[in-house]
Amino acid sequence: MPSAMKRIIILALLGICAGTSLLAQNNFVVSYSIAMPTGDLNTFIGKTSFRGIAFDYRYTVRDNIAIGFSAAMNTFYESKDRDTYTVDNISLTGKQYRYSNNIPLLATATYFLSPEEPLKPFVSLGIGTLYSRRNTDMNLYTIQLEAWNFALQPEIGVQYELSDMTAIHLSLKYMHGFQAGNELNSAQSYFSLNVGFAFF
Amino acid sequence: MVLLGACYPNGPEYVEDADVVATSYDVKYDFKSQSTFAMPDQIVVDVEIEQGDTTYEYMAPKFATVILDAIQKDMESLGWERVDIDEDPDVLLTPAAMSSTTYFYTYWYDWWYGGWYGGWGWYYPPYYTVGSYTAGTMLLVLADPSQASESPINRSQAIWVAAANGLLTGYYDISRVTDAVHQAFKQSPYLKTN
Repeated sequence: MPSAMKRIIILALLGICAGTSLLAQNNFVVSYSIAMPTGDLNTFIGKTSFRGIAFDYRYTVRDNIAIGFSAAMNTFYESKDRDTYTVDNISLTGKQYRYSNNIPLLATATYFLSPEEPLKPFVSLGIGTLYSRRNTDMNLYTIQLEAWNFALQPEIGVQYELSDMTAIHLSLKYMHGFQAGNELNSAQSYFSLNVGFAFF
Repeated sequence: MVLLGACYPNGPEYVEDADVVATSYDVKYDFKSQSTFAMPDQIVVDVEIEQGDTTYEYMAPKFATVILDAIQKDMESLGWERVDIDEDPDVLLTPAAMSSTTYFYTYWYDWWYGGWYGGWGWYYPPYYTVGSYTAGTMLLVLADPSQASESPINRSQAIWVAAANGLLTGYYDISRVTDAVHQAFKQSPYLKTN
């Protein structure tokens, strides 16, 4: 995804937050995101990603129900040792550098179990798209595969109120981007642990 | 975004990290029933054709000998016997090396729009930098001379090709090339003869 688009999304999120943060029905979360690859992504890169950030905006429509949207970026990376890759009658030996950049853009619905208490557990479901870009670098070349996957993201978490304005946020998300297109043609999935702050 | 950029993963650190060895072979060819090979004593690095005359340029013997020795040793350990070209060898092994340099440049310039005087303009001169890298390729080709009679152009197709590619540095480390030669044979176990 072009960085300009990333910037627009983030500015839009910040803009909403800045304009309306005094209203209690807003819930804006910025979190650090640690991600563990599963499925096909895990076969490609086995390593946990410590490069991630997530933004979640929620607007309370009823006492304990909120709708909103979620955007994040999780970058996976692994440098493979020198190895031989064989396809049919061709073998290629070398070091591979593997990258996977994942940007989910989702609409979310959230249910807060105890919205009046300082400790607020919640469950959430996100639905939208996952942009996934996979690069395999070898020698001077890179093989790039992209997909815009239809994505579902269940999430469980908890917010602990520090003041009228802020809370500590902790959540576990499971991102599942269903198979899309014929370039990166398998489902992309990972768990992410998100630690951050919520602003009301 | 700056923060994200700052912690983006690194990638290759040494020129060796970009070294690759690629091999491919004719799946229909029966390597097992062959036993002898012939190979020149020199490695061609360039060919010049001037007014119909072909001149070959060869790699300096102090490098070529080491590489050819490595090739011979690997072939022998796969069961092949090196014979002279006039002793009717089953296959011919022809090594070649080449290099190519790619130049790239980046530049920037500024522009202005002169509201008072009108019109557009550029700030000259442009600032630019030129960089280059040189990639070297070592090629090993196996061909069966007896196949030439079956070809309308009287040439044998390659039954095995190995290409080792890496970035060249000013410092000639011949072991990078011999390592690549060993790897080429190692990843081609089908070359083994009886």
